Amino acid sequence: MNMIELLTELAVMPLIAFTIGLFMVLMMRKIAAKIQRRVGPPLLQPLYDIVKLYAKKTQNSHGLVHDIGIIMAVGGYIAAETMLPVPGMNGIAAKSGLLALAYVIMIPSLGLALGVGQCANPNGSIGIARALTAMLAYDVPFVIIIFGASWFYGSNNLIDIVAHQQAGGIATWGAAKMPVLAIAALFSMYAMLGKQPFEIYVAPAEIATGPMVEMGGKYLGGLFVMQCFQLFTASAIYVTMFLGGGENWPFFLVKLFAIIAIPMSMAFVFPRYRTEDVLAVVWRWPVLLGLAGVWLVMH
Amino acid sequence: MNHSVLALVPALPLLASFLLPLVPGAARRLVGPLTLLAVAFIGLNLWPLVQTEPMVLAVGDFAPPLGITFYADSVSALFVIAVALVTLVLWPWSGSDAGNLDRKQSLTLILAGACGGLAVSGDLFNVYVFYELAAVASFGLAAGARTAAAQIATFRYVVIGSLCSLLALLGITLIYVQTGTVNLAHLAQLAPLKLHNPLGLAAFFMILLGLGVKAELFLVNTWAPDVYATAEARVSGLLAGLVSKLALLAVVRLLVLIFPLPEARDALLLLGMLGILSGEFAAFRARDVKRMLAWSSIAQLGAAFVAFAIPGPAGLAAGLAVALHHLLVKPALFLLADRWGGSLAQITGAARNSPVSAGLFVLFILSMLGVPPLPGFWAKYLLLSGLAAQPEGLWWLAGAIILLTTVVEAVYLFRVIGALYGRDHTVTPKTQSATAVIGSGVFAAVLLAVAFSAPLLALPLNRMAVQMADSAAYIARVLPPVLPGVAP
Amino acid sequence: MTSLDLLLILSGLTTLAGFAFGNHRAYPWLAGIVLTAQIVILASMPLPMAAGFGFEMFGHPVGWQMDGFGRFFALITLGAALASVAYTGGEWGERYAAGGKNLRWLHGALAGNVLAMLLLLASGDLIAFFIGWELTSWAGFLLMAQGGERALRAAMRYVPYAMAGAMAVLGGLVLSLTWTGTLDLSQLVMLVPGLANWKLALLLALFGTGFAIKMGLLPVHLWQTPAYAEAPGAATAFLGAISSRMGLFGFGLLLVKLITLTRLADLSFIDGLFSARDLIEWVAALTIVLPTFTALKQNDARYLLAWHGIGQSGYMLLGLVIGDATGSAGGLLHVFNHATYQAALVLSVFAVMHRTGTADLNSMGGLVTRMPLTFLVMLLGIIGLAGLPPMNGFVSKWLIYRSLMIEGRPLLFLMTVLGTLGTILSVYKLIHNTFLGQLRAEHEQIREAPWSMLVPMLALVALAFVTGVAPGLALNYVNEAQAALGLPVMAHTLGGVESPRGSLDMLWIVGVLFAGFGIGALLFYGAGGRSKRIHQLDNYAGGHFLSADVRYQYSDHFYAGLMHRIGPLYRGSFTQMEAALASANDLLASLMQAWYRQAVPALTLLIATVLGLAWMIWR
Repeated sequence: MNMIELLTELAVMPLIAFTIGLFMVLMMRKIAAKIQRRVGPPLLQPLYDIVKLYAKKTQNSHGLVHDIGIIMAVGGYIAAETMLPVPGMNGIAAKSGLLALAYVIMIPSLGLALGVGQCANPNGSIGIARALTAMLAYDVPFVIIIFGASWFYGSNNLIDIVAHQQAGGIATWGAAKMPVLAIAALFSMYAMLGKQPFEIYVAPAEIATGPMVEMGGKYLGGLFVMQCFQLFTASAIYVTMFLGGGENWPFFLVKLFAIIAIPMSMAFVFPRYRTEDVLAVVWRWPVLLGLAGVWLVMH
Repeated sequence: MNHSVLALVPALPLLASFLLPLVPGAARRLVGPLTLLAVAFIGLNLWPLVQTEPMVLAVGDFAPPLGITFYADSVSALFVIAVALVTLVLWPWSGSDAGNLDRKQSLTLILAGACGGLAVSGDLFNVYVFYELAAVASFGLAAGARTAAAQIATFRYVVIGSLCSLLALLGITLIYVQTGTVNLAHLAQLAPLKLHNPLGLAAFFMILLGLGVKAELFLVNTWAPDVYATAEARVSGLLAGLVSKLALLAVVRLLVLIFPLPEARDALLLLGMLGILSGEFAAFRARDVKRMLAWSSIAQLGAAFVAFAIPGPAGLAAGLAVALHHLLVKPALFLLADRWGGSLAQITGAARNSPVSAGLFVLFILSMLGVPPLPGFWAKYLLLSGLAAQPEGLWWLAGAIILLTTVVEAVYLFRVIGALYGRDHTVTPKTQSATAVIGSGVFAAVLLAVAFSAPLLALPLNRMAVQMADSAAYIARVLPPVLPGVAP
Repeated sequence: MTSLDLLLILSGLTTLAGFAFGNHRAYPWLAGIVLTAQIVILASMPLPMAAGFGFEMFGHPVGWQMDGFGRFFALITLGAALASVAYTGGEWGERYAAGGKNLRWLHGALAGNVLAMLLLLASGDLIAFFIGWELTSWAGFLLMAQGGERALRAAMRYVPYAMAGAMAVLGGLVLSLTWTGTLDLSQLVMLVPGLANWKLALLLALFGTGFAIKMGLLPVHLWQTPAYAEAPGAATAFLGAISSRMGLFGFGLLLVKLITLTRLADLSFIDGLFSARDLIEWVAALTIVLPTFTALKQNDARYLLAWHGIGQSGYMLLGLVIGDATGSAGGLLHVFNHATYQAALVLSVFAVMHRTGTADLNSMGGLVTRMPLTFLVMLLGIIGLAGLPPMNGFVSKWLIYRSLMIEGRPLLFLMTVLGTLGTILSVYKLIHNTFLGQLRAEHEQIREAPWSMLVPMLALVALAFVTGVAPGLALNYVNEAQAALGLPVMAHTLGGVESPRGSLDMLWIVGVLFAGFGIGALLFYGAGGRSKRIHQLDNYAGGHFLSADVRYQYSDHFYAGLMHRIGPLYRGSFTQMEAALASANDLLASLMQAWYRQAVPALTLLIATVLGLAWMIWR
């Protein structure tokens, strides 16, 4: 592969991811609307929202780190997308691997945390403390699952992992070979998305006590973009590990959206866990399942 | 050199001590130091002579085993030198009045003479005589501080000391009854036949306890902390540093020549271990610097007993190293503790006023803890490797105890360092006296010289140990085989 | 004279110079030049390099020889010393001296530490090793004791630990000699693996205890935090960067070279189920997790970092004991990486202390606007400590994770990741409570740290960044160390590792990361309305308006939710164990004193004599 082709891929992959992410947000809202017996937003509403936020006149900055936080949040995901293979494009997946990807997607969280911290709003800091605690909660089962998958496929290379699964159709998918791990992974991904009942740190209902408290205009817009990326990334990692990755675009898209649809269909009927309960529930079920899954994989 | 100089080693200081009050004027103050220098000179001349062949003196030309025998091998020569020089460094230069000073100097000379005698004695009876002399002198010196506390402590010392002297005498009597001789060489010849039995062992045990008093042997050492804490610093230094080593030497001679038995070694080993344990732990709780040093010295001597219990030259080398190291370190520490005695709180920040003394103190402490490359490390190394070379069991237990108690030792000794270099503006610690600084400086210089020349000293140490361990040679030297046709 | 001689002589001269005129303004420059020269000499030295001096003691030759393993540690030592000395060169040193403290002692002790460590790292036999070991311990003590009353107390607490460690090592030394008849490392390497299992286990226990204490492994870690945290700034950085790694050096020699990892796995406790190797791996793993979560609860920045120092050492040992090419490379590389960012972090904390006078995380905040460069140092430092790209801490941890994956150790892997996650939480608290949030009224006039302090800090993080992007630079030396230990050598590229089963190319990862940041910045600054800078107090508080007279910084009990869940797990068991040991010691001591206080010594004597005679007669 020549350099120009690679660079093109690197440029295109984040764009695709963003676009898919936008539609995932739309789907999420539509599902919520259906559950709540509303009509829901029109097709391009997520895009309108972003444009609106960027275009607002009031853009309050609390200083350079506030800006850098948003840049890191978005930039980190842009980088992460180039490490996730999609149909026809591998980006730098071979040079980074699953493990590095798992750590690169912590950078946006750190960026967000820095940005919020600089806002000098104690309520924001409280939100970040909760967000980081939630991260501690869901990353524990997540890494167990990464271990199990990586052991099973004998590789840390996502391209290998995809090829391994596509070799024999559905029968060789990760989910078929490691059902327990796949369930655990779904659980931990659910927690990662920060939707009900795991949405204490975002606290959308009471905006005063969450990371978003000082975020307006393009700061919130940046976080909106980040959310699109986040939805895509979480889903794509899952699909890559357990659902055979992307053979071709139509199948890949179906899988991606289906994976997001599962937690979203459940989310909106739940109330909210407190921080310590997030820890309790996430450290219990997905971790136990994950460890059981790893044991099954290794024996 | 004429063999009869051996007799001068004890005789010169004893004579000088009796003549001292008769010497008029300022010359009186020179008698002691000059005598000691003379003894040191004898010792230094002795040293090269006895390297290959020990020297024997039969007083009055009564051939051994009859009569009084003096015997000097390289260990004896070394201890003669040490006795003279250490006494010189710890010499009482001043007293409250002239009479007091005379008394102190006389007693110190008697002590030096007795110690010298112990170093070169070749028979059991002389050992006892010199030992008693040393005891009397040390009682006098210990009480010399003239405080009530010192007198009470000395009384306890006298009680224990006299009881133990009786025990020793009893032991010697038992041996004499069994063998009809007190000459060490002769005893060594007869021992396998007549003394390697329960009775002989009982005699050994009694002598061990008897002589052990001065060597701070566990069971008979309860006098030591109080005496050392209340006596003058130089006296404590002399008792802990010098006298204890000579008593130890006497015990070791018995062990090597007459009782090279596992039972005897076990007794030494066990009591040594208990001495280490009790000394180090008791020192851990001590809040008084001098008492702390006293307990630490009990522990160090326990280590020396353990070392000498190891069979063969390896044990003797380790024991000599431990004993000589302690001889260098402890008197110096007692000297420094003269002004810095009492509770630790009183010396907080003393390093600011007396940086040199504090530095010396740290140096001695580090050596005592066995921090390489100071000599204490090599002593500890010899001791531990000697123990490890023995079959497991008690020997290894002793090694483990030494390792463990060093940790305890480090804690209490560093407590002193912490106090010296700490800060507390409410107390003004005393500055060190010039004599203490000079005295301990001399010891420190020797210590450092040993540290730098350690690789060169390993060989002589080993040679000394081999010579000392060779009981057959001792017998042959003192009692030459009377072959037909050869004049005795 | 060999170049190793020259190295040691230069080090000795620096020590003398430090004690003699460390308070002179020119000393830091001089020491800096000499240290740089030493680094050059060391780096260009052909290996193995024997010293021209040595002596023989009791029939055993004592000598010094530098190999690749020692050089790796020695380079880090010299580098850490260079950074520390440079830091003291300007205002910091002046303030230190003005506070009534003695720069001569500080510089002398620092240089003495370097000398002691070089002697240790170049030791060719166990006696030389022990000499270096003891000198390192007590030189370390000297450095720790200089920070004032609290520092002295912490240093005193170190004494029993250090002595216990030293005595354990001495015991091991003596047993090695007894069983093999030699103290020469090159001969021991051949003889020790052939010893019986119980002998190996005893050697492991003795040497291992000594090294574990120095390293601060659980459960003998308690001394380290206060001792390192309370030392004067430059000393803390040096100690935190390299000092306790001497324990790791010892473990490298012991576990890999002397006992060998295969023999280590033979020493099984429960019928082959749990071997000594597993034990060490688990001790290392617990050392990662528990201290990290203890760090999370600290309210003093220095203590927080010191606890992390303990935690990170677990990664190094774990990597080393896994022992495959990847894992051991990760463990060793982490030594270097940790030294770079930890020194930078410590120095940044002391830079903040220099300006604010406090390291209390509950009495700072918002300093980023006043000390932006110090913030940058701390930011890059915590990214390194947390082990996230693009800093070098990520690479070494990645290697360790990867080797645990390859070797199939899920629980250990989980422990390592748990440590990393805990670290992220903890270091965010550190940077948040120091630099983010609300600026306090008393800190409004604060200026950036002086350049004399900033330059070494920035140089350290620059190093941490460069070796993060191009880990191959440091991996060259790691390979040398691996080869010297007899470990499999990890093939590497400039950007990391190339393997069909999972490569790591930091050049590309960092490249896309910064490209991503660039695009993010373009999107942010290029699109949308202009942002307006507003005052920190101009913010929304849900009805409770924060005003200038009520400043509120969320700092204490930062992770309240987390603590609600895991708080009860902090039981202070190790502290209690330490206290119990001390009480037992005290009890024994009073019993022993009672012996010497007995009222009727004559009676005791009688009883003892009778018993002794009985023993002699009937045994």
